[in-house]
Amino acid sequence: MEAPTHAVTRRIAEIPLSGHFGWKWWIALLISTGLVLLLGYTLAAVTFIGVGVWGVNIPFVWGFDLINYAWWIGIANGASLFAATLVLRRHDLRTAVNRFAEGVAFFAVICAGIFPIFHLGRPWLFYWVFPYPATFEVWPQFRSTLTWDFWAISTHAIVTSLLWYVGLIPDLATLRDRARTKLAQRIYGVFALGWRGSVWHWAYHQRAYRLVAILVLPLILIMQSTVAFEFAVTLVPDWHETRQPLHFVATGLAQGLSIVLLVAVLLRWSLRLERYIDDEDIDLLGKLVLATALVSGYLYLDEIAAALLTGGKAWEAIYHRMTGDYSGLYWTAIVYSVLIPQLFWLKLARQSVIAGVFVGISIGVGVWFDRFSIIIGGLQTDYLPSVWRTYSPTLSETGLFLGTIGLFAALLLLFVRFLPVVSMFESRHDEHEEKSS
Amino acid sequence: MTEPLYGIMAEFGTPKALENAVKASKLAGYTKLDAFSPFPLSDVAKVLDVRTRAIPWIAFVAGLVGAAIQYGSQYWMNAVDYPINVGGRPLDSWPAFIPSTLIVAILWAGLATLLGLLLILRLPRLHHPVFAVPGFERASGDRFFLCISSDDPLFEPGAAWDFLQTLSPQRVREVPACG
Repeated sequence: MEAPTHAVTRRIAEIPLSGHFGWKWWIALLISTGLVLLLGYTLAAVTFIGVGVWGVNIPFVWGFDLINYAWWIGIANGASLFAATLVLRRHDLRTAVNRFAEGVAFFAVICAGIFPIFHLGRPWLFYWVFPYPATFEVWPQFRSTLTWDFWAISTHAIVTSLLWYVGLIPDLATLRDRARTKLAQRIYGVFALGWRGSVWHWAYHQRAYRLVAILVLPLILIMQSTVAFEFAVTLVPDWHETRQPLHFVATGLAQGLSIVLLVAVLLRWSLRLERYIDDEDIDLLGKLVLATALVSGYLYLDEIAAALLTGGKAWEAIYHRMTGDYSGLYWTAIVYSVLIPQLFWLKLARQSVIAGVFVGISIGVGVWFDRFSIIIGGLQTDYLPSVWRTYSPTLSETGLFLGTIGLFAALLLLFVRFLPVVSMFESRHDEHEEKSS
Repeated sequence: MTEPLYGIMAEFGTPKALENAVKASKLAGYTKLDAFSPFPLSDVAKVLDVRTRAIPWIAFVAGLVGAAIQYGSQYWMNAVDYPINVGGRPLDSWPAFIPSTLIVAILWAGLATLLGLLLILRLPRLHHPVFAVPGFERASGDRFFLCISSDDPLFEPGAAWDFLQTLSPQRVREVPACG
């Protein structure tokens, strides 16, 4: 007779090891690959022609590039924070959700990293921000926030991928042991690094995994704050506020959680993983999304209160964002990222696939509008009336944004296809605990 | 039995059986033991006295070194080697140097954790004698293994084999050493 632990391994391992994956997966991959090609095209355009293909101009030196950068970083941070908290809490939920939350975070960082590099205008010289002994004998100016970005993004990408990979090692070994073809065995074997499941392996692995999770917590707060500081240290009235980091961290968290919820609901439905991502998990995620949406709501009020207290130009700036050319974005952001998630007060909504997808996308869109409103709407009311004008993205910028969404989706689809989306060793452990209790 | 052995391995069906077998082997005086399981077994780790305190220390020291290097290099580059006066602001503006100092400390600590993990476990390696044991692939599924290494001062193939048989395992096998 087969022990139940074996059944778990087989059910999840079957997904990456099966020979074919159905036409839906292929169609999804085809669409997202198409978008990746669009990304390549728009990146080539900006590289060979220059940033003139974008709609940015003084004062809007930051357009879609920074909006999307801040947006993707928000997703990465929210998802990382969620995954790391689950690892540290040893909560049952982590067995199911933390693995792909880590994946979501990692892929979002990759998408985010594209923007600041191409935003430089001469992306092939991006290494100039790194302090290397150049022939000109000059060094980067570390008192500028833009050099912080270099360290923040590269560290964020490395540490997020570490958390993901360290957690994956034992499962890669499982796939190696269960692979049917020699090639799959070899590939998984190399990435499993010779994992044997020895007592020493497990003990050190668990310690290291938790330690990296602990490191992720301060990292994401600093990372998102660094993004926010880039705004706060400027003299633009709407940005020059110490509350910026808080606003970016909190709304980013809501956004990351909502994307994790979206992916969880979609995975559960498409791969029939109801047993591993159960109703309770989705319910808890829904509650977390609701809670963070409430915090976002509080921060929108705080923004108004802070501006009223400062008065003068700061109040004028926020008032302009609420009523000016881009007021639609401001109000849509509030409706999408604060009001619509209130649906989740109902248990029925938290457990429905459609509501999960709807609210997940709604917060994602809402926070994107919020970033647009801050970056473009905020810049509109600078101290110099002579630069008051409007900004709209060109086709090339829109293509770039759609392209990163395609890249994210493609990476996620490949992840689902070739790696276990649910931690197998944790599931084995949990089933065993259940059996013995 | 002429070929050299890496050890003798017994296979068990439940974690409890493995834990009891490890305890019995310790009592019998064996010291070079290793246990293999599909998920972490903290009780077995306790019996075998596995200590993992090195990991946080590695991370802590690496983090401090990373922070010192990052702050030091920013200070040296911007205040000593290539000072630029920006509106009379101080050259050594420590608040501006702090964010990347903290970030790089985390980077060093994270990388050192993974590299330390691999170094301590002597990974990566492409092959290991235990992989040659038929059925060992179930160590990542539903089977639990105990191996008495031939390095053990008490090790004697026949005796170790007989001893493992007394622990009511599912089967006992020799682990050939690989050249």
